[in-house]
Amino acid sequence: MRLEPTSVAARTFDTRITNLYRASMSAPTSSTIALGLSLGLLMVACGGPETTTGTTGADTLAVDTTPKETELLNVGGKLFSIPSPVQTALAMRKAGLKYQKDLTTPLDKGESVVGKIGQSAVLGMYGADMAYVTVHKDGQRAMATMQAIEKLGGKLELTNSFDRSLLDRFKDNLGSEDSLLQFSGTAFRAADQYLKDNKRDDVSALVLAGGWVESLYLTVSDPAAAKDQAMVNRIGEQKNSLNALVSLLEASDKEKGATALITAMKELQALFAGVTNTYTFQEPVTDAAKKTTFINSTSSVTIPADQLAAIMAKVTAIRNLMLA
Amino acid sequence: MRKSLLILALGAGIAAQAQELCGTIAERCEKHITTQYIPDGQFYRALLQGDEQAEFNLTLFGGTTYRVAACSGETDGALVFNVLDKDNNVLFSNKEQGNAPYWDLAVANTIDVRIEAGLDPSKSGSGCAVMLVGFKK
Repeated sequence: MRLEPTSVAARTFDTRITNLYRASMSAPTSSTIALGLSLGLLMVACGGPETTTGTTGADTLAVDTTPKETELLNVGGKLFSIPSPVQTALAMRKAGLKYQKDLTTPLDKGESVVGKIGQSAVLGMYGADMAYVTVHKDGQRAMATMQAIEKLGGKLELTNSFDRSLLDRFKDNLGSEDSLLQFSGTAFRAADQYLKDNKRDDVSALVLAGGWVESLYLTVSDPAAAKDQAMVNRIGEQKNSLNALVSLLEASDKEKGATALITAMKELQALFAGVTNTYTFQEPVTDAAKKTTFINSTSSVTIPADQLAAIMAKVTAIRNLMLA
Repeated sequence: MRKSLLILALGAGIAAQAQELCGTIAERCEKHITTQYIPDGQFYRALLQGDEQAEFNLTLFGGTTYRVAACSGETDGALVFNVLDKDNNVLFSNKEQGNAPYWDLAVANTIDVRIEAGLDPSKSGSGCAVMLVGFKK
């Protein structure tokens, strides 16, 4: 599709998009675009005797052709990134935390869990487990987890992302950690794109929440994590991600089905309020030849011991809630 | 009735085209997250017009090199993006690098950043902005 500025349809398209972003945090959806475009086209197509209808449509859509001030798409247009569970798994491995397969979500949970909320959260949990078992070189468990993901993905109508060919590629590359992490990351990204394309931002947010909680659960379940400063920092550094997740969940939970989860996440947010972050800007250095910028700013995290214990307990409680 | 069918047909056809718009850009953008990088599993996009800017919020963990790819339009270089810290210091701007469609950020210490992305007015007046993130192990 070309967004040629010469037609009424194009202006209508743009206006609809702008309004959509102001109104909702959810990603832009093709159906909304389509609505704007089809109304615009209809206005063009239904000229002559139907002009009144078209004009009314145009008025309703309030096509604004006046120049706008530079604006950020705040609130409605803000997009959040939740750290990949792979990064947490790698940090756990680096810290030497013990691999505990039994901590991962039971593979039969995907069969028994009912409802969109539970299924979405468990899918995200499996994604985090996948990262965890893969970086710990447990190829068999990785394969079994991918099979569980494929089945659960089917229930959530995500077979375009998690399909038989993905399983085959997985099977053929079980010895390559890098390939498995690549496949997994690419498949979850495709699923995220598909969900956003199809106005299923609630499922997208719940998958992210499930992955995030599971990653943190796997981290805090090893008592050694509380004694490892790098891991404690990593826990504290999740503060902004948690804030982002709560925003995403709240904005996408139009059916109010995830209220209990959101409440629990907000309680966790309150505990994270006790985490102190400091930041000092340092001039970055750019190496244009390497297309790399070295960000040298410094930061630190402080978590009082009792606050850390409370966070750990709450994360476990939320994970149990997701599996209930 | 005939008119309703026309609307539905138009809507369905255009929906597919609109989806294709971001989809095609995403496909091109994915190529910048090469096999050295692990995709973060998320898909970020915004539909922009004129001088609007989309805002992406990320936590970048210390000791990691991230690749950020930002695409729009039919060719690379249509999207201008700035990486800012929480105090609004500009850490990187691809405008100074010929609107490079991707860039690596080697992060020494964990930092919360905001990426502001807008269309290059000389190349596009409106369109879909896609941002993808990957990281090195």
